[in-house]
Amino acid sequence: MRKLWIYLSGFAVLLFLFWLSLDLGILHLHRSVFALVGKHDVDATTVWQVRFPRALGAVIIGAGLGVAGAVAQGIFRNPLAEPTLIGLSSGATLGTISLIASGASIYGTRANIGAAVLAAAITAVLVQWLAPNKGFGFLLTGIAVSAILTSLAGLLISISPKPGIQSIAFWDFGSLTLLNNSTVGMIAPYIEIGVIICFFVSRKLDIYSLGESSAHYMGVNPKRLRLYAIIGLAFLIGASVSAVGSIAFIGLLVPHIVRLLIGPAHRKMLSLSALVGAIVLLLADLLARTLFVPNEIPLGLLTSLLGAPALIVLLRVRRASWVSHD
Amino acid sequence: MIEIKAISFSRGEHQIYSDFTAHLAMGEAVLLTGPNGAGKSTLIQLIGGLLKPALGRIDIDGIDIATLSAKEQAVKRSIAPQRRSFTLAFTVAEVLHFLPKKLRINDNTEVIARLGLAELLTKKVTELSIGQQERVSLALALSQRADYYLLDEPFSAQDSNSSANILELISELKKEKGVLVISHNQDAISQQFDRVISLA
Repeated sequence: MRKLWIYLSGFAVLLFLFWLSLDLGILHLHRSVFALVGKHDVDATTVWQVRFPRALGAVIIGAGLGVAGAVAQGIFRNPLAEPTLIGLSSGATLGTISLIASGASIYGTRANIGAAVLAAAITAVLVQWLAPNKGFGFLLTGIAVSAILTSLAGLLISISPKPGIQSIAFWDFGSLTLLNNSTVGMIAPYIEIGVIICFFVSRKLDIYSLGESSAHYMGVNPKRLRLYAIIGLAFLIGASVSAVGSIAFIGLLVPHIVRLLIGPAHRKMLSLSALVGAIVLLLADLLARTLFVPNEIPLGLLTSLLGAPALIVLLRVRRASWVSHD
Repeated sequence: MIEIKAISFSRGEHQIYSDFTAHLAMGEAVLLTGPNGAGKSTLIQLIGGLLKPALGRIDIDGIDIATLSAKEQAVKRSIAPQRRSFTLAFTVAEVLHFLPKKLRINDNTEVIARLGLAELLTKKVTELSIGQQERVSLALALSQRADYYLLDEPFSAQDSNSSANILELISELKKEKGVLVISHNQDAISQQFDRVISLA
């Protein structure tokens, strides 16, 4: 009953924010959003060609980031394992940018998404391979690799004359400004695949939380599980980074909120993480667009500004949701 | 039958097993004992397929475990390791439902009752005492449907009452299954077992 209530109110909030996202912006609509269905004037074009793909993209990408955060924390057995912290996002950024800088492709193409997915997967394997076996070593290795890849990406941007490579701020802070119907349509299937893979591994993540040897004794092959999870994460992070850059804190914060709401079981957590992730990103983007009209705040600034204090509060309120033995 | 056939195994310079042979049959309970560092837990990790012997092989029902997948091994044997990391705030009931149905025994209420977990089912596993957590870990292993049960130090964090209950569970389990129990403290319990293997 409590679960149903949580989902219902979540969907209500999401729908309300979605409507607000269509309604609010620099251009004031002369009619309600609902009166614009099937119309082709300035108001309608603004709503259906600009605001709608952006809001839909926020929902899809936010859901993907929420799921990615939950799976990353589960598979790396670390409450801080967030895709931007452990190098996946910077790997994906470098993958995308290299392709643009080399002239092999431009922003918003399939090749670009593919390169980001592949680079994210390679980065995840690299961090695993470089990291010492236990505890914080993994996280620190991820942060170090992430720093290297981010710098390389920045270097590439600085020296590349190619148009459309975007600024460092775009890739580092993330921005939904470039989302249109075509980019959203292109990344959606990748995120869908990523989500399906993540659901496929989710039940085993419960067993895996007891430790690697326990998991093996209970019939779960830890290496194979990690491989599948990394492929799922690469699809989610690769696709979203290639379109909107790296957005911090959503993958870190959302699973912690969700665990407090419905407990740590991964399959339940994944669906709710998708919903909460969508809400958080939609809200963040709405605020980024509308707080200081006509200026837009970089999205990553906002997610960090809202997310970091929220995380601190959460951790202080309920420290017991994740016990560390390291 | 689990057959350990002339295995050798070392950790670094330290040779733990050389040409070691042993077995565990259905219908018997065997106590494995020895001082710290003698390789008791290592043997469980070897039988569990987590470590591989340098020489020799380990068979379960005539099949080399090195050729079995994690899932195939889990159908044959269940292991309660010395420690599991309970990091997430699952309830005890949730933990006892981790295993997929195919790998679970039909009814584990008896196990739960005997291990004194019935009143703890709605408690968060992260908030339990070490002794309670180890009983959850044991219940999890005993809920796995298998032919052989390997229990690493099941008594170490238990009071005498709980220990007696666990011993009783073991003696019932061995009627149909094979049970190997590791304990560094053999004096009080060795007469409850069919055989004792002492590692030097």
